[in-house]
Amino acid sequence: MEESGSSGGAEAVINLGIGSSVPISYHPCFGPHEDLLLLEADDNLVSDIFSGRVTLRGLPDEDAVLCTKSKTYAIKFVGNSNSMFLIPPSNSPGFIQDDAHGKVSVIKLAPGNMELVEVSPKLDKLKQLLLESPFGPGEADAMMMDDDVSEKNLALYTWSDLVNIIQASDEELLKGLESLSAIEIDGYWRVIDESYLDMILRMLLNNCVLNSWSFDDLDEKEVVSSLVADEFPKQLAGHCLRVFGSEVKGTNKWKLEPRLVCLHFARQVLREEKMRVESFMEEWKKKIPEGMEEKFEMLEGEVLTERIGIETRVYTFSVRSLPSTPAERFAVLFKHRPKWEWKDLEPYLRDLQVPRLSMEGLLLKYTRRAQSRPDAEPIFSAR
Amino acid sequence: MEIRVKCECGEEECSEWTILELQGVVETQSSFQGSVQNLEIGRLCHSGSSQETYTFTVGYHELTGSKVTLNKPLLVLKKLQKCTDGSSEKETELEVVGIIRSKILFKTRPKPLFSGTS
Repeated sequence: MEESGSSGGAEAVINLGIGSSVPISYHPCFGPHEDLLLLEADDNLVSDIFSGRVTLRGLPDEDAVLCTKSKTYAIKFVGNSNSMFLIPPSNSPGFIQDDAHGKVSVIKLAPGNMELVEVSPKLDKLKQLLLESPFGPGEADAMMMDDDVSEKNLALYTWSDLVNIIQASDEELLKGLESLSAIEIDGYWRVIDESYLDMILRMLLNNCVLNSWSFDDLDEKEVVSSLVADEFPKQLAGHCLRVFGSEVKGTNKWKLEPRLVCLHFARQVLREEKMRVESFMEEWKKKIPEGMEEKFEMLEGEVLTERIGIETRVYTFSVRSLPSTPAERFAVLFKHRPKWEWKDLEPYLRDLQVPRLSMEGLLLKYTRRAQSRPDAEPIFSAR
Repeated sequence: MEIRVKCECGEEECSEWTILELQGVVETQSSFQGSVQNLEIGRLCHSGSSQETYTFTVGYHELTGSKVTLNKPLLVLKKLQKCTDGSSEKETELEVVGIIRSKILFKTRPKPLFSGTS
């Protein structure tokens, strides 16, 4: 039998010709080498990793996750009871043998490898962190006077702080910040105090009336400079348009979204209270600017109603305040209300996105479905 | 904490490692225990009978196996501890040092070799 060519290491095994043989030995540096890890990755991930776009994120007391630009993966160690002899190439830095010629050496016995499982980003903590110190009128005043805000010892977070704390990919984190209507002020990501945002919005609507601007055709520059004249910081003026409006495609104009504006006022009316639906509707209507129309459907996923005797009451129950992982979400929902009709439940599930699991799958896994008659509305309860 | 997974090479140039996988464990004679470095384990042979048949002879045992292309490649990562300037804290980095696309898998029990007897 022929001895293999001159090469050694892994390449001698990979390219071993038919009829050839090669001796396999323990490497002079054979050992546990716990700093060498094996990670199983599909082709897409492999190319992400090679382009340097992948990071591991998590605090020391958490299980690390792996993040690409857009996705988050849990890392699982899969043990293998077989013996896996790991063989580096002959030119591998750190494991070079003087007489590597024709030698194939095993550097370690791999106890298993790491596998990746796509998971939802862990964004609940983000909300908590940012709500610790919302941006309010006091700071806005200081900002207008050029005072140094950072002196005040507030818990504030930059993008790189958040990346270090939150287990989510860059895109998922940015989406999370958007859904909290957060804004970067002086390098820190902040949520705006609700009543301060209310002041800005009311001033904006006021200015629309004064200047006869249409809600569908707002010029950002004009809007912002009018708000700055009313002593609101420039950044927040622009932010207010982004929170309550959308850019009209192909123009530099903005359009206020009636749903977002009406929803804001509904929350202002309700706050922590339970109100008779009739008096709520009356109060709400009073707050709606002329030219917009409030509809109860706008409040899907934000309020619930309950019947007590002949009275129907409405109260705030916002999907934004619920946990983002399915198990916790369903637990909170069923604790709040043991039985749900689909039309009430659906708005509280719409945003749940679980890799590899459809809505139907989610319902099967976490709910029990009951129908009193074949043609009746199904009722969902906890499993 | 954020740990960057970096690599010095591109996907094409990344050096290929490999794995020999067999059931159970290879026991070393007690006289060598604790110092197996440099010791020969056995001889791997790409037998002529078929494209992908390999034998691995370890002592008086012969294993028969085949080359398996991995559905998903394995990346070989090396954990690096780097001292950052001016601080005593060490920064961890992971570097891709290799990729494994195939392994040679011996999934049958070893066959005893009785050479020179009978």
